[in-house]
Amino acid sequence: MGESVAGVAANVAQQAPAIDVDFALIGHQECWRAAADVLAVLRGPEHPPLPDDEIRDIFPWIPPRAICHVEAGSIAGGKARGVYIDSFIPPDRLDANYMRDNLARVRGAAAYAIKAGAKIVSLGGFSSILIEGNLDQLPERHGTVFTTGNTLTVGFIVQGIKKMCALEGRNLRRSTLLIVGATGDVGSGCARCLAPVVKRVLLNARNMERLRTLAAELEADGVQVEIATGLQQFSAEADVAICAASLASPSLLLGRIAPGAIVCDAGYPKNLSPSGQMAGAKIFFGGLGQITGGLRFKPDFQGILNRHPFPDVVHGCLLEGMALALERRFEPFSQGRGFITPERVEEIETIAARHGIFLAPLYNADGPVEDGVECLAGWSAG
Amino acid sequence: MEPVIDLNCSLPSEGTFLTPFALIWQDILAQAMTGELVAALNYTALSTICDDPAEAADALEHAAGEQGHAAAFAAEGRKIGVDVPNNVNAKHWKRLREAFMRRIAERDFIGCLIVQEIMLESFAVASYARAGKVAPGSMGRTFASIAAEEEEHIEHAMAILRTERALDAQRFDDKVHGLHLEVMTTLAEMLARECTHGHCEVCHDSCVKPSLSEVSLTAAELRGASLRQYLKTLDMLGLPGEVTLAWVSQLPV
Repeated sequence: MGESVAGVAANVAQQAPAIDVDFALIGHQECWRAAADVLAVLRGPEHPPLPDDEIRDIFPWIPPRAICHVEAGSIAGGKARGVYIDSFIPPDRLDANYMRDNLARVRGAAAYAIKAGAKIVSLGGFSSILIEGNLDQLPERHGTVFTTGNTLTVGFIVQGIKKMCALEGRNLRRSTLLIVGATGDVGSGCARCLAPVVKRVLLNARNMERLRTLAAELEADGVQVEIATGLQQFSAEADVAICAASLASPSLLLGRIAPGAIVCDAGYPKNLSPSGQMAGAKIFFGGLGQITGGLRFKPDFQGILNRHPFPDVVHGCLLEGMALALERRFEPFSQGRGFITPERVEEIETIAARHGIFLAPLYNADGPVEDGVECLAGWSAG
Repeated sequence: MEPVIDLNCSLPSEGTFLTPFALIWQDILAQAMTGELVAALNYTALSTICDDPAEAADALEHAAGEQGHAAAFAAEGRKIGVDVPNNVNAKHWKRLREAFMRRIAERDFIGCLIVQEIMLESFAVASYARAGKVAPGSMGRTFASIAAEEEEHIEHAMAILRTERALDAQRFDDKVHGLHLEVMTTLAEMLARECTHGHCEVCHDSCVKPSLSEVSLTAAELRGASLRQYLKTLDMLGLPGEVTLAWVSQLPV
C-alpha cells in the first residue's frame, strides 16, 4: 500500500486537472462518521449510504484528490476560489505506525494542489507534517507556497481562552495555565502568547529537552514555568488548560485540574477522551474561526467538511490560507518548527479580521457554551 | 459453453498431490485466464475496425500476447497440480465482452480502448500485482510479470486517448462516463466482497472469495487496488479527480 500511494504524487503531478484556484486546503477526516458523510455526499442522495464495513474497506484505497471547489467571501468585497483536497488518510491510521504511508498521502495531496495551480496551500491537521522538512520531496512548485495555518489557529485558541474567561468571570492573570503538547508548533505559540498574561505556566510534552528549551525562553521574560512529561507530575493544579497534542484519537485524560477549570481542546483529532472525568470543567473546542463573508462548497459539503454547529466555521489552519488568499498575500506565513510569536499572531488576526474572519462562537460536544447562540438545524451534539 | 482453450477442466486425477491452497489458486487462475482470453478476443475484434494497418497489426499482436498470458496461467495451474478452466461466457465476463462488442459494432475505436485499456486492464494490473505478491514460487513471478506487461498496454493507449481528449475534453469525459456506467458497474459486481447474484460460472465450486484470506488475499483489497488503479489511470488521462471519485463511489458494493 505504501509504495502505491507514494506513486500517486508523481502521477498526479503529471496529470491532475488544471483548475484555476487561489488556494487549496489539504485535510483529512478525523473520524469514521465524517469519512462516511464524505462518501455519502459523493454518492449522492439517489444512492443509499454505504455500510460502515464497506466504508472501512474502500476508504484506505482512495488516492488523494480534490473533492470539492470552495469559494470564500470577504466582507471587504473580494472572493477567493479554491479546492479542498482530501488526503484520504483513514481515521484509524493517524498514529505513528502509519507515518510513512500517511506522509506519502499528504505528498500526493500537495502534488495535486501544485498541479491545480493553487497559489497558497493550507495544511490541515496531520498534513502540517509536510512542512516539517518534507517540502523538498515535492514536485516543482511553480510558485505554490505552503502554510501550516497554525498562526491563525493559535490566535483563535488564545482569543477563545480570553473569551471563555470573560464569560466565566475568571481573571486570567491569576490563573495557572497548563499546555499539553506544549513543544509543538501550536502549543509553543500558545505558550508565547499567554505566558505573559497568566500567573504560572505548566508545560507538558513528551520531549524533556524541548520542554527545557521552551521553559528557558519563557523564563527569560520573567514567566514562572514548570515542566513535566507526565501530567501527574506538576506541583499545582491548572485552572486553565489547552490541549494541543498530536494524538491519533481522543484519548487524553487530564487528571489533576482545578474544579471548574477552563479547558480548550484544540486537537485535530480532538484530544480529550470522552470518558475523562473533569468535575465542572468548562470545556470548549478551540482554534476555530468563522468566515462571515460567506463560504460555499461545490458540491455542497457544508456541514460535512466543517462539522460545527454554526455556519461557515472552519479550523484556523485552513482559514489562514483563505485569509491570505483574500489578502492576495501568497506567502508561506506559517512555517512550522515552533516559530509562532505574538507579533505574527497579531498580524494574521488583523488580516483575517479585515476580511471578516473572526473567532467562531464557542461550543463543545454538548453544543454552544454561550447563552443565546443557536445551533444550525440538524447539528447533533456528541 | 466450450472453453476457448480446451485445457481439460477436470480436477486432477486421484493420486495427484495438491497443496492445501491449490483449489483456491485454481479459481484465481481461472478468473485471470478467462480475463486474458476475453482480452485476446477483444483485441482480435479491434483489429477488424482499425483503419491503419499498423494499428491493426498492433491489435493482433496484443491479442497474441493475451493468449500467451492465458497459457502462462494455465501452465502455473499445472505446476500446482490443477487444470485451470476458463469460461468467457460466464455471466459477468459475457456482459463485459458484449459491452466491448457494441463498441466494435459502432466502429468506435476510442470506446474500445477505453473499455479494454482503461477499465479492464486497470482491474487486471491491480489484481495481478496483488496476487504476484502472495502467490507461491513461479506463480507469483508470472502474476507480477504479466501485471507489468499489462501496464505497458495502458501506456500504449494513453497517448492515443490523451490526444483524443485534447480535441474535446467534455465530450471525451462524457463518453468515459457512459462506458463507466456500463462496464465498471459489471466489474464492481465482480469485485464485490460477496457474489450476491449467484455463482459467477468461473469458480470450480462455491465462490472463492470467502477463502481468499487463506492465500493472504481478500476480495476487499482486490477491489480497492483495482479501483485505485482505475482512478489513477483516469487522473493520468486528465479527467477531474473529484468527478471520477464521485463515479467510483457510486458503484455498487
